[in-house]
Amino acid sequence: MTTLSGQQSTRLALGKARVFLLAGNPNSGKTTLFNALTGLRQKVANYPGVTVEKKTGRVRLPDGSDATIIDLPGTYSLISRSPDERVASDVIRGARGTSGNVGAAVGDFDAIVAVVDASNLGRNLYLVSQLVEEGRPLVVALTMTDIAERRGLNISAERLAEVLGVPVIGIVGHKKVGVEELVGVLGHARIARGLELDVPAAMRLEMVELAEAIQAAVPGLAGGRALAVAERFLVGEPSDGEIKEAVVERIKPLAAAAVARLASVGIDPVQADVEAHYRWVERVTAGALVPGCAVLELPPAGASGSGVGPTMLPPVAVRPKRTLTQRIDRWLVHRVWGFVFFAAVMGLLFVSIFSFAGPLMDGIKTAFDWIGGTLAGWIGPGVLADLVRDGVIGGVGGVLVFVPQIALLFLFLSILEDSGYLARAAFLMDRVLGRVGLNGKSFIPLLSSFACAIPGIMATRTIESRKERLATILVAPFMSCSARLPVYTLLITTFFTQWSAWGRAGIMLSLYALGVVAAGLTAWGLSRWMLRGGSTTFILELPPYKVPQAGTVLRHVWSNTKQFIVRAGTTILAISVLLWALAYFPMPTAAEREARATVARAAWEVEASRHPVDDRGMIEEMRPADWVDARVEAVLESEHRRHSFAGMFGRGIEPVIRPLGYDWKIGVGLVGAFAAREVFVSTMSITYAAGNAENTVPLAQAMRAARFADGRPVWTTATAVSLLVWFVLAMQCMSTVAVVRRETGGWVWPVAMTLYMNGVAYVAALVCYQGLRHFGW
Amino acid sequence: MKECENPSCDSPTGPERCRLNQLGVGCGARVVAVEGEAGLRRRLLEMGFCGGATVECIRRAPLGDPIEFRVRGYHLSLRGDQAKHVTVEPLGDGAVADSRAT
Repeated sequence: MTTLSGQQSTRLALGKARVFLLAGNPNSGKTTLFNALTGLRQKVANYPGVTVEKKTGRVRLPDGSDATIIDLPGTYSLISRSPDERVASDVIRGARGTSGNVGAAVGDFDAIVAVVDASNLGRNLYLVSQLVEEGRPLVVALTMTDIAERRGLNISAERLAEVLGVPVIGIVGHKKVGVEELVGVLGHARIARGLELDVPAAMRLEMVELAEAIQAAVPGLAGGRALAVAERFLVGEPSDGEIKEAVVERIKPLAAAAVARLASVGIDPVQADVEAHYRWVERVTAGALVPGCAVLELPPAGASGSGVGPTMLPPVAVRPKRTLTQRIDRWLVHRVWGFVFFAAVMGLLFVSIFSFAGPLMDGIKTAFDWIGGTLAGWIGPGVLADLVRDGVIGGVGGVLVFVPQIALLFLFLSILEDSGYLARAAFLMDRVLGRVGLNGKSFIPLLSSFACAIPGIMATRTIESRKERLATILVAPFMSCSARLPVYTLLITTFFTQWSAWGRAGIMLSLYALGVVAAGLTAWGLSRWMLRGGSTTFILELPPYKVPQAGTVLRHVWSNTKQFIVRAGTTILAISVLLWALAYFPMPTAAEREARATVARAAWEVEASRHPVDDRGMIEEMRPADWVDARVEAVLESEHRRHSFAGMFGRGIEPVIRPLGYDWKIGVGLVGAFAAREVFVSTMSITYAAGNAENTVPLAQAMRAARFADGRPVWTTATAVSLLVWFVLAMQCMSTVAVVRRETGGWVWPVAMTLYMNGVAYVAALVCYQGLRHFGW
Repeated sequence: MKECENPSCDSPTGPERCRLNQLGVGCGARVVAVEGEAGLRRRLLEMGFCGGATVECIRRAPLGDPIEFRVRGYHLSLRGDQAKHVTVEPLGDGAVADSRAT
């Protein structure tokens, strides 16, 4: 048995901090342990090339040096199925390899800390059996020992350590019990005792022969490693970077022949291998239990085809007691109450996102307007002040307004996930989602997409089936994200004034429903015509319910909200500055301004004399002269935009959008919406010369007063409906397109998605506008 | 644990055996074999459905699918489409001394 010392000294000599990987099953208490180990000294980034979250933290070792801990994504097996799991096995194996995968990029590590849930020892030890085979130094953190004890399982860390040959520390993560001891033994990680798998004799023989062939091809490979590699060849998972690709190609035919020989005597290497691993698990479990305390599930003699029976304790007959989780589940996945509860949770989530967040969002908006105004005041009038106020502060502030909604959404999701309820929600919804070619696991991504499609799309990484994952990614943007909300609000409050509050709420709800229906139909079409074949699976653990821990929840909320803020400060900032410039330049010359002002002044003076003061709507206490000044100022602003690059573009596309009922001003708004949908509202304020963007009342009036050249009003109910439908269905978010490209690994899907969604939106808006107009709306 | 409600099991594997998706709610069974596409079969095996393991059907989702099972002391849900690849031997009452969580 080797200790770390050899590698340790070289790493220390190189001045590198030691690196430990935290590996374990999902729901094993890994995250709680990670938080307990590293406290606030952690950071979240992405693994190179993939958007899987990479959580690293620092811990002070007893010798005073700092070490890095990497929290790997939870995985059941090193043979990966989902992109999340792929990362875990790549990091564990790839460091050894030469291939340019995630693992090679992350680099080497000193030891693996295997997190093992004592209350679910069997399946957790299965992963440990694979980690042992990797032949790297190992430490075991035994979590949830308190729960196991309550169930009558008394697992002894000392005994487990003895059986495995590595240090084992019992942990109660949320009480920080054992955390210090774990830090203390990190430096004493050892390579575990070999598994001594009791595979059938014929398979053993093939393994030994193959191992000899591998050793001949790779001089210097230790016998134990060669055997482990041979095992992987037989189960069809040869390439993990440990041996060169050329050697893999040479060994492959030998392995195939061996598999064929085994098949002829009725042995399936994969099954034999997994079963042998589980027999090892059973032996280890038996060895780790304090005698007489509990019962294992006894594998019946002979059923597994191997004569090697694990040494078991005599079973103590205890009827299984219904656990609290099972009692709760009788209600929460009940055929009636289950759906009632589900609807109530979703209702609460939406109410809180759209009402509780309101005051906070208003506060942020006011703060940013104030900051923008103050900065512009300091700088003094000019291009720079306009850039700072409208381009930088306005653009970023317009997006940061959504921070309370995003934070609340993640707060809810995190509580639901930590408590174990989201797994039940996926269980309830799988059939419904399965009908349209999605998966129960699509539920969480789709739910997140109501706040923002970006975290939603990133959350699809837990879906194993590529087909279902792709379908989920492609339909997620149909969920009405929070950026569409200001647009919906503006249009509904402006053009459905005669409707009651309930009626308007109904319109809002039907917009959300339209998005969901479009997503469903699209997913159904995709699974029927585009993404055919391939496997679809839904294998989901239903973990016991537990009370979410405030620390874990808040950390989750913070890291996700931070990502959103960072994005607003980088990508969105750049785009909004660019759009600001397009709508600002070229600037009118002084002569042009003068000419436009004269024309506007004449027109508005006539208007002012025609109407009594309080009909002018805008600000009643103004004197007529001031009112005219304000209108002229607004007209100048509007003319400025009309002749800007964005205005030219808007007028250029007017023939295309005219059939939908839109004028060039709306066209400019639609272009602006490609940076962020909510930008539409502020663009409308500018192009409709409403002046003050904070107050939507004059904007509404300006919009209602707008006329086409032939004198028809631009804004009718038909226009409003057409525009609402456009916003529900269109793909207008650059950031989403960028994330889809990253997640699907190419431009094909994001481009196809954008064309499809905008095509659908165009046709739907066209049908709505022309249809409604036909009926006189 | 009660006896299998599904005596008229039409599984081709024999009258004593049935597919996991045909197992009645509340019934226990012993895994005999796992078939299906290689990736799915490996995952089912790895999640604990190996030969000899005891499985109990806990409940079906309200719409009939997926199905919740207990295997090796933890709870797992599978679609019927996946569960059908597992052949089991239903256990009568008392045939399992205990299926207690490990």
